[in-house]
Amino acid sequence: MSNDKFKYRVEIQQVLCPLHSGALYVMMFVSGETGEPSAETTGIIEEIVRVYIAARDPDLLQLQQCTNLASRRGSRSISTDDLIFLIRHDKAKVSRLRTYLSWKDVRKTAKDNDPSGGAGAPDPADLLDDAAAGIAGGAGPVQMRQKKAKIGLPWEVASFFSEQVPEREEDEDEDEVEANAATLQRLKNADERTRGMTRDEYVHWSECRQASFTFRKGKRFREWAGFGTVTDAKPNDDIVDILGFLTFEIVQTLTEEALKVKELEDHVLMESREKSKKRKREKFLFHAEEGRTPIEPRHVEEAFRRLQVPKPKSRAMRNFSGGVVKSKLTLV
Amino acid sequence: MNNNNLLPASWSRQLSTRDDVTALAERTRTNSIETGVEGGDKDDVVDPTIAAFRQRYDVFEKRIAIMFDTRRPCCAPPDMEFATLELNDPFSSANVNASGNSAADNARPPVRKLDDDDYDFEDDEDEEDTRPKAPPPLPFKSASSLSQSSEPLPGNIIDAKKSAVATREKLEADRKAAEEAVKRALPSMFFTLENDRDAMLEQQKLEESDRQVNAEANAAQANALGKLSSANLGASSLTLKHLIARIDAKRKEVVVSDLELRNLMSEVRKNRSKWANEDKIGQEDLYEAAEKVVLELRALTEHSTAFLNKVNKREAPDYLTIIKHPMDLGTVMKKLKGHHYKSKKDFVDDLNLIWQNCLDYNAEPSHYLRKHAKAMQKATQNLTPLIPDIVIRDRAEVELEEAGALEVDAEGESDDEPIMSSRGRKAPGTKKTRKGARLEGTPEVKAPVVNLLRADSNPPGNDSQVSVGLNGFPTPSGGTPVPNGLAHSISQMDIDHDRVDDDTHDVEYQTWKTLTKKARAKVASERHKLFRGNRLNPEEPALLRSRDDMGRFLRNEEKHARSAQDADDNSMQQGSGNTKLVDTEQTDVQELLPDYYDPLAAVPELPFGVSWYGDGDEVDLQDDNLRIAPRGIFIQPKSELSKRMDANIKQMQETRKLCSKIGVIKQMQVQTQMYSNQFTKYDPKEFVEADVEDFVVSEEGPIMCATVARAALQKSVGKIFYHAGFEEFQPTAIDAVTDIAVDYFQKLSKTLTVYQEAPQHERKFEPEEMLLHALYENGADVESLDTYIKDDIERLGSKLNGIHQRMKSHLTELLRPALQDVGGDGSKMFNDGSEQFVGGDFAEDIGDDFFGFKELGLDKEFGLSSLSVPLHLLQGRMHSTYQTQNTSTVALADGYKPPPPFEPVTHELLEREIGLVKNFFLAKLHANNEEPLVEDEDLPVKQRLPKPRLPPTGKILAPRKRPMHGQGGNSKKKKKPNPPAPPPAKAALLPSKSVAMDRSLSKISEADGDGNGGMMSPESLVGGGG
Repeated sequence: MSNDKFKYRVEIQQVLCPLHSGALYVMMFVSGETGEPSAETTGIIEEIVRVYIAARDPDLLQLQQCTNLASRRGSRSISTDDLIFLIRHDKAKVSRLRTYLSWKDVRKTAKDNDPSGGAGAPDPADLLDDAAAGIAGGAGPVQMRQKKAKIGLPWEVASFFSEQVPEREEDEDEDEVEANAATLQRLKNADERTRGMTRDEYVHWSECRQASFTFRKGKRFREWAGFGTVTDAKPNDDIVDILGFLTFEIVQTLTEEALKVKELEDHVLMESREKSKKRKREKFLFHAEEGRTPIEPRHVEEAFRRLQVPKPKSRAMRNFSGGVVKSKLTLV
Repeated sequence: MNNNNLLPASWSRQLSTRDDVTALAERTRTNSIETGVEGGDKDDVVDPTIAAFRQRYDVFEKRIAIMFDTRRPCCAPPDMEFATLELNDPFSSANVNASGNSAADNARPPVRKLDDDDYDFEDDEDEEDTRPKAPPPLPFKSASSLSQSSEPLPGNIIDAKKSAVATREKLEADRKAAEEAVKRALPSMFFTLENDRDAMLEQQKLEESDRQVNAEANAAQANALGKLSSANLGASSLTLKHLIARIDAKRKEVVVSDLELRNLMSEVRKNRSKWANEDKIGQEDLYEAAEKVVLELRALTEHSTAFLNKVNKREAPDYLTIIKHPMDLGTVMKKLKGHHYKSKKDFVDDLNLIWQNCLDYNAEPSHYLRKHAKAMQKATQNLTPLIPDIVIRDRAEVELEEAGALEVDAEGESDDEPIMSSRGRKAPGTKKTRKGARLEGTPEVKAPVVNLLRADSNPPGNDSQVSVGLNGFPTPSGGTPVPNGLAHSISQMDIDHDRVDDDTHDVEYQTWKTLTKKARAKVASERHKLFRGNRLNPEEPALLRSRDDMGRFLRNEEKHARSAQDADDNSMQQGSGNTKLVDTEQTDVQELLPDYYDPLAAVPELPFGVSWYGDGDEVDLQDDNLRIAPRGIFIQPKSELSKRMDANIKQMQETRKLCSKIGVIKQMQVQTQMYSNQFTKYDPKEFVEADVEDFVVSEEGPIMCATVARAALQKSVGKIFYHAGFEEFQPTAIDAVTDIAVDYFQKLSKTLTVYQEAPQHERKFEPEEMLLHALYENGADVESLDTYIKDDIERLGSKLNGIHQRMKSHLTELLRPALQDVGGDGSKMFNDGSEQFVGGDFAEDIGDDFFGFKELGLDKEFGLSSLSVPLHLLQGRMHSTYQTQNTSTVALADGYKPPPPFEPVTHELLEREIGLVKNFFLAKLHANNEEPLVEDEDLPVKQRLPKPRLPPTGKILAPRKRPMHGQGGNSKKKKKPNPPAPPPAKAALLPSKSVAMDRSLSKISEADGDGNGGMMSPESLVGGGG
């Protein structure tokens, strides 16, 4: 695996795929896919992501739901709260998102205060992990943390009361600690993967981690996601960033699930092969392992199917009432 | 035997019915005791086998008693281990036969199933047939002394008593004693029901014969509706003469028969029996006694059944060829009623003729009627001494005789007044009685044995219907004592030989049987009617319980309970106590029937909530089923979860209180004017879940009430809403959520039901698993529930706590700037949230005239009870404090020093003023009670006049926002008398420190306008200042 080769591939993808294939590929790589997925695979993933974010079916799309929420609130434009509300049950995700947003805020203020340093500000995706790392390490940059703004959500305890009181600095939010567990696990996995990497590989890896749908590609992303058609209002940067973040999450989840599927498939195939060809194929001492094959579209499809299996919670209220339950697209 | 007294006699009786061997041994022993008078040698030599049997018998009885549990402590066997009841007789090994028998006995089921086959007569008959002829229960005496005293043995009687009168008395006494003994022993005995059928049938026959006799007698007299006066009611009934005449006149209209009428009359004429007849001397006494005897004999239904009526030709075609003079009890009764008997002898001969006929006809010794005949013979023998030996004679004849024998001594007058004779007879009878007494002067000569002898020996035809005259005379036929003894021995031998009276030696049982025969027969026949023809007859009247029976049952139960109380007393005392009970209560024959004869009367043990008030009152049915439903069904059950939720809710309320305070203070800092409706005081009440009122339910089981349950669920939903942070919510919202919750819970339980109702063989899950599956199917699992509790309740609690703390500190900080003015010592008081500050009465606590009211004399003037200050003053001060501080810092920074403040206008000051304004100010001062006048700006905010508004082009835009130059922030200034223009309206207000904040605010704001408008004009002040 050479660095150049990947760079090359990234470029190829960017040429071939309509919008984000390069970024998609990189994200898949970060999520664990080591092989070289075909264009079909990335294409299908992109389609899925697009359905999620911006499908024209009003029942399905995330943006539409947000718009509905906002209009229910009496507002024409969607806010971050609406987006977060959609994913409120996934605490880890919410936590990551909040960290992301707060660090984004930090970056913005830093840029405002120090226009010169703004350009060198880290990428949002990087910020994400850095924040988590800071929490994990416990000895993050103190001055940064002080500036970090808390993102309040309307369904939190503080909003129970008519008066808002300033947060105390020493308040340790145990919520965060717990919600970060999943993030930490993800980081740990990444750590495992990078352990055996060479320096070049690690550089490439870290570059790949900075992949973003929205960073400096905001306009393209908006077009792709269908802003303006789905929602009237012009969303602000935060919304776009959050959507980009969510897209990244979706890609990551899909890739991980597809990898699992592929692993299972390989396992089954291997077993059957061993059973049938036990006599014929003997293992030699220096028998080369077959190279890992990349994720095929069928793996992605299976992963998507698995993720879409309706959970009992979503159909509990339809129990005993008969009729065909039209399953909605569930958020990944 | 004495040990048995400790045991319930019922068990021993049970045993005795079964344990033939032991019973035999017992019987032999009893016999030996009884016959011990005559042959004492038997008693001396006790057969070792018998002794062994006796011992075994005792032991087995004890064992049986132990084997059966009883709830009644009085009847419980004494505590002893089963194993301790070992056979320790020396014969157990030696006497193989005995031990074998006892083993066999032991192996048998120890208690016979209670024979309840009165209903089933087929079975009963079979049983009777197969049974070896007299296995009625053989009760033995629980106290052996009883039997000896109450056994009326003819031989003994004859030997001991010489006079017939004494015999009669003795017989009566014996009978009474026996009855008493039975009554005493009754509660401790257990009777089986096997004789009831016989009793019933016999009783039926008896009644039938009664009817027949009556009918015949009536028929005989019905054809001639005799006049009552002509009827032998006796001439003595002079008192009733007119009545009788009257009845005779209307005789046709009276539908009662002659006999009945006569009975009626004899009842009316008390002391006179229906047999009384003035013309026939001695008839009353004789017939009275004779009737009694006949009734007694008939009542011995066990044996008398065959003799009640005439022998039917169909049954015995050759009867009349063998028996020349048939006789039966019915005929005897008929003859009695027809006054055919002239003397005792006639009557007794007829009786004996009956038995003798039977014995003659049924010659072979094994015939079953023979034993009955013999038993009846014996009974007759026993009863005949009761009859006074009287020969009825016509009055005329007697009077004739009397005239001749007037001088005869009258010493026998008193000695044998017959027991049966009615006592109150006096009017014509003195002489007659004496005459009768003289006639029956030697009654002992005519002992009944004579008759018996004759009956035994003579051919039956001879002694029946002998002429009155012959029999009437006291003809002592033969030596009396010897035949007596002979007769006794004969009868005894017969009895022993035939075993007629297997159970005669058990006097108690016998007496009991006799006493209760009628009652038992009644009970059995009533039941029999229902089951006649071996099927249930629905047309028959149902058996009903009666109040008396139930009361008796309860009394018996009570007896048990009472005897349980003094269980430590010995059994003798118990017995006496029971006797007393029996005596005091009604001694109905029915009383003697054991409880189990009348299961209808049994009262079950009263269930809880039902009471029985004495004998008279019914069971209180109102209490029966209805009761107050348990409380707390419709409220949230107490649990750790609910406790936490409640705590969270309370915490929220507290925090909201703080919030409202902070809001008020913030508002006050911004606003200058406060209005009463501006702040609604937030004073939430604690949530108390109200339960439904007491209501009454009738049955166990869940209480189903959809509306109430829904309301309860709504309450819970509302609580959860509040817990989730909603202070208020729309009714539609809570309705919708309640509906969803109802739906969800229904589905949940439905799922669970589906799992539970799976067929047994298909059932895969344990109950816990079912529950988990049902939860899973409905989108919940233990983890999610756990997470909910952890996150949304426990963690919420801690978060709420943190926010509360923050609110508190925030509030304190908000109040701090004002507190700094107070000075070092008082400030700490307000660290705790400072409600006092808002209320404004802290000054009183520190005992300081903080606002200088005292100096001003306001307290005296307006009757201030405390020195607190209205809130608006306070916040105005705070406001100005803020402003002052800000401006001073700014001023210092700019190097600009504010000009000295204007001094208040006083008289001294006015001295130096120009005359132009002097008068004006003097007037002002006067209006102000000679107090110094201050600048408008220095007035408390509320008293300040609104500044004249300037047009937009003017310079002064927001005068209040501008820093005030007059206040340097020094506390001295505050202490300076601020002369508030004291309008009367305000004066009324100031004392109201205790009034709630909002109220005082409103009043003051109102008063503000009035007072200032009248008193001070801003122009004047401004002008004065300038």
